[in-house]
Amino acid sequence: MIENIRHLARKWLEAKEVDAIFGLKEQDGYIAPHLFTDASELDNLTISTEYRLCYTCRPLKEDILSLMQGKEPDTRIGIVARGCEERALIELAKRNQLDLDKVKIMGIACTLEEAKECKCEKPYPSNPIIGERVEGVSEDEDVNTLLNKSLPERLEFWRHELSKCIKCYGCRNVCPMCFCKDCKMEQEVFCKTGWLPPEIPMFLFIRWYHISERCIGCGQCEKACPVDIPLLTLFKLLRRDVKDLFDYEAGMDAEQEAPLLTTLDEMPIKEEVPSGV
Amino acid sequence: MAEFEPKILAFCCNWCSYAGADLAGVSRFQYPPNIRIIRVMCSGRVEPEFVVKALSSGADGVLVLGCHIGDCHYMYGNHRTKKRMAILERILGYLGIDPRRMRLEWVSAAEGARFAEVVTEFTEQIKSLGPNPLKEVRA
Repeated sequence: MIENIRHLARKWLEAKEVDAIFGLKEQDGYIAPHLFTDASELDNLTISTEYRLCYTCRPLKEDILSLMQGKEPDTRIGIVARGCEERALIELAKRNQLDLDKVKIMGIACTLEEAKECKCEKPYPSNPIIGERVEGVSEDEDVNTLLNKSLPERLEFWRHELSKCIKCYGCRNVCPMCFCKDCKMEQEVFCKTGWLPPEIPMFLFIRWYHISERCIGCGQCEKACPVDIPLLTLFKLLRRDVKDLFDYEAGMDAEQEAPLLTTLDEMPIKEEVPSGV
Repeated sequence: MAEFEPKILAFCCNWCSYAGADLAGVSRFQYPPNIRIIRVMCSGRVEPEFVVKALSSGADGVLVLGCHIGDCHYMYGNHRTKKRMAILERILGYLGIDPRRMRLEWVSAAEGARFAEVVTEFTEQIKSLGPNPLKEVRA
């Protein structure tokens, strides 16, 4: 699989289809994001599930890809992207964070093991060039357990989970969709400084609500959480709800505008959908 | 034991619902005094965080009142509110807070009677739901 990726990347570079390939580089046993401009380097190109979504990492409060495109707007960049990574790129482009016209995506499909590890619902990009497309995980035990609880039980559950929060902002920092420079989670009005655990449920509610319509279901937040708060469980439910309410799925179509950014005339709410409680 | 008197917060938009509330007062319609009104310029100003903040700060119910769809002073402000509140309702449910503690209604400046009606009905509902369990969470 990795040989096919390197081969295709070399072909793209040599045919000048792209000016550079953005991917992971393995060197001396370490893996880091790297911009390959020379075909001879491509032997070190690699993929890894642990370092997913490096294309949207933020070393300087701005997505690395936006930074690169800001400096070199005409460079065409080839990107080795899994399903979640492609969805992230599309969703960011929709919000003017990057220019998708200058990006060429080499879609790779994840294996079943990788999909299970991420509890991924869609472990493949829109056009997988490399790898076999496998179906994602459709049933999530955590989601069902939560839905089977009564309202007071749910509150008790979240009270317990959220009281573990140490306010490290890990979930926000790792989220490919959290790109605001001024974050509401840092505002004194909503989340008082010096409170630990942070206000329940305000602190994480801000993220749940803000990311609800654009969550691509990558599960990075849950993986980053040092105290194992099941953040993805609620995001999965919200992804389902946004689909039910607006017939919208994040990261699918770059042309389709986001539901919260449109009027009811442009994207109506389907009233008949029950509220899920 | 005295009857439970809920605290209800209402966000009223400046152009319709606040004037509707005013009309209810001027016309001397009776409605329960449990409501506290905050005037906002548009129901689109009401962020879902406001509702959560109100609930976690001790309100038992939150009303969001705006102009009817199509009558918004800012054209599409209430469209946004409608969509946001639909998502908010879901999140509240999943978090274990009864979504019926939050209600979005359209009340125009001419609907004083409707304002009184909405407030009365909502107050009754909150009374039947009992005190907001989220209150206890606050240390």
